Amino acid sequence: MTDPTVPRAGITARGVRRTFGDVVAVDHIDLDAPPGKVTALVGPNGSGKTTLLLVLASLLVPDAGQVSIAGFDPVTEPRAVRARTGWMPDVFGTWESLTCREVLLTVGDAFALPRAAAAARVDHLLELVHLADLRDRPTQVLSRGQKQRLGLARALVHDPDVVLLDEPASGLDPRSRIELRGIVRGLAAEGRTVLVSSHVLAELDEMADRAVIVARGRTVAVEEVAAAAQARRTWRVRALDLGVLLAALDARRTPHPPPDRDGVEVELGSDVEAAELLAALVRDGVPVVELAPASGVLEQAYLALTEDRR
Amino acid sequence: MSDDSLTSAAAPGPDDAAPGRAPAGTGVLLAERPMPGGSGSGTWSLGWTGVRTVAVLELRQRIRSTRWTAVLALWTGVLALLTILVRWAVHRIYDESFDGAGLAPGADEAAARLADQVAGRLTFGIIVFLVLSLAGLVSPALSATSINGDRQAGVLATLQTTLLSPAQIVVGKLLAAWATGLALLAAAVPFIGWIYLDGGTPFGRLVVVLAVLALTILVVCAIGLGWSAITARTSSSAVLTYLTVAFLGPGLPLLFALSVPLVTENRSVAVRQQLYTAEGAPTGCQVVQEERTITYTNRSWWLLAASPYVVVADASPKPLSAEGSDDPMSVIRDAVREARLGPRFPLEECYGDLARSQQFDDERRAQRASLGVTWPYGLAADLALGGLFVVVAVRRLRTPTRRLPTGTRVA
Repeated sequence: MTDPTVPRAGITARGVRRTFGDVVAVDHIDLDAPPGKVTALVGPNGSGKTTLLLVLASLLVPDAGQVSIAGFDPVTEPRAVRARTGWMPDVFGTWESLTCREVLLTVGDAFALPRAAAAARVDHLLELVHLADLRDRPTQVLSRGQKQRLGLARALVHDPDVVLLDEPASGLDPRSRIELRGIVRGLAAEGRTVLVSSHVLAELDEMADRAVIVARGRTVAVEEVAAAAQARRTWRVRALDLGVLLAALDARRTPHPPPDRDGVEVELGSDVEAAELLAALVRDGVPVVELAPASGVLEQAYLALTEDRR
Repeated sequence: MSDDSLTSAAAPGPDDAAPGRAPAGTGVLLAERPMPGGSGSGTWSLGWTGVRTVAVLELRQRIRSTRWTAVLALWTGVLALLTILVRWAVHRIYDESFDGAGLAPGADEAAARLADQVAGRLTFGIIVFLVLSLAGLVSPALSATSINGDRQAGVLATLQTTLLSPAQIVVGKLLAAWATGLALLAAAVPFIGWIYLDGGTPFGRLVVVLAVLALTILVVCAIGLGWSAITARTSSSAVLTYLTVAFLGPGLPLLFALSVPLVTENRSVAVRQQLYTAEGAPTGCQVVQEERTITYTNRSWWLLAASPYVVVADASPKPLSAEGSDDPMSVIRDAVREARLGPRFPLEECYGDLARSQQFDDERRAQRASLGVTWPYGLAADLALGGLFVVVAVRRLRTPTRRLPTGTRVA
């Protein structure tokens, strides 16, 4: 039975644990992914991301913990979960001799979608992932990135409410990555719940609304990307004349480490402080070329939390 | 969903990276989609559309792999060669033995016709057993790597995370494998039909043979599918499937032979013996109690029943014209029934009494004929074994899963 206190949409995982023999893949993960938002699942290799997604995709029974996908329990109500969940695995094959279009139509059949509606949606999805011109080619001719895009389309065939993407950007060229970002944002804007696992952190800054950081199979932090941008972090300042810049910083008593070749890093409390610093430097006549975060929002948080990499 | 957002989705520029832009839609939403709710995994649901989806997927892949035509061509070629060779050899033997036997012209013709019929039956039996053996060799390849092969290729989970039930996946794969096997059988039909047209074989026998062959292929496909769900490595499942098929085919008769010591006992039994005069001339018969070594095949005959060779032989109607067992199928059929009857007491050892001997043989033949048929039990046992493997395969495909076979990935 569904717990009425659990929201009817989105993903909720509480205390999920999963072991394989004596290997603890997921130790204790708590995760919330609300609908209409993109939630990033971030963590080092072997931190249990893929195993957690397999649990969410109703393929593995957790040893302990509660999971709810769109209000349903994947262990006791797997069919209800599957009808509402699109899962793009990290490593997957395709039916090599089938064409792109046939692959997607087969998945549509497997979800018992009405044929005509499925065909229209499949054609649109092929456009969306830029495989329309390869639609009648067998998938064995696809490159790795193209297969990845087909995998994304495959996860979306049945119009799922919840989308699980495991390393969707791996193998994609820069343009495809940007397009992926657009698609993922679009899925969330349509009210779907999107959970993306990745370790390309810079990309997640722009794609994700929230990030759940896991390490050694445990949830170590949950970051709101917008809030994290307001946190104290390192910024990099570059000017045409480094000497003038350093003098201005010293005059403002802004602490800074020794400069490198053409710039210097400063610790700033928030975006507001950064704006103030920039205004002040310009007022002081410093020829500022660049003032930017030294690293991504998530990268900062991630590196701080996962030093004990294994 | 506006057209604008569709366009921007189709051709997003680098600017799309900027947060807050109009979202790229995923397009045509489905007005209606199946939305199962509530509990239950539906492991055993067997809706036809799902089965068809899997079967079509499998067959499409099989047909498009280029090896398929080569296999069919090779199979047909081997069958053609074997049929021609066997037919030639058998007819040569029979033509020689009936040629110039010094019979009257009319009798000669009748004898030649009889010889043709006997030769036809013999060829038919040999060809059927060859096709059965070849089918046993080829059929495992149709399904023995089906599930673990999909697992290795990372396409099994794609099906498992849809609304297809494990039973639909397994039965769909089984039907596709069976259909491929039936295509091979269809390629064999012209050769079996050719020998049938040579004469001597009842039509019922042709029908029964084809039916049993088709069902045997189904059972072998089910066994292969089961092993491919049980083992992680495709090579293991292939070997295990071949071993299981070998156990059923030649293995069970071999086991029957090896079990003879287990059913053999030294017993004091009634024996009908020849009496002799003082001069050593046979006079009459008498029944005495004597210690004998008796093999009770009536306790072990069932080992033979499930072998497809026995099933096909026992199920084929006997040719009406033929008195004796002059073809391989009748020989096997009679031998199995003889084993089923077991020893008969008193043991008949009064060989001098020819009339009595003949009567004994006639009684024995009548007893064999009155025995209920064996093949339904054998066929049922084979089908049950196949069913067991299907059930095992379905259970191994249930998700979400608690345990993984060692060395397998989920996806």
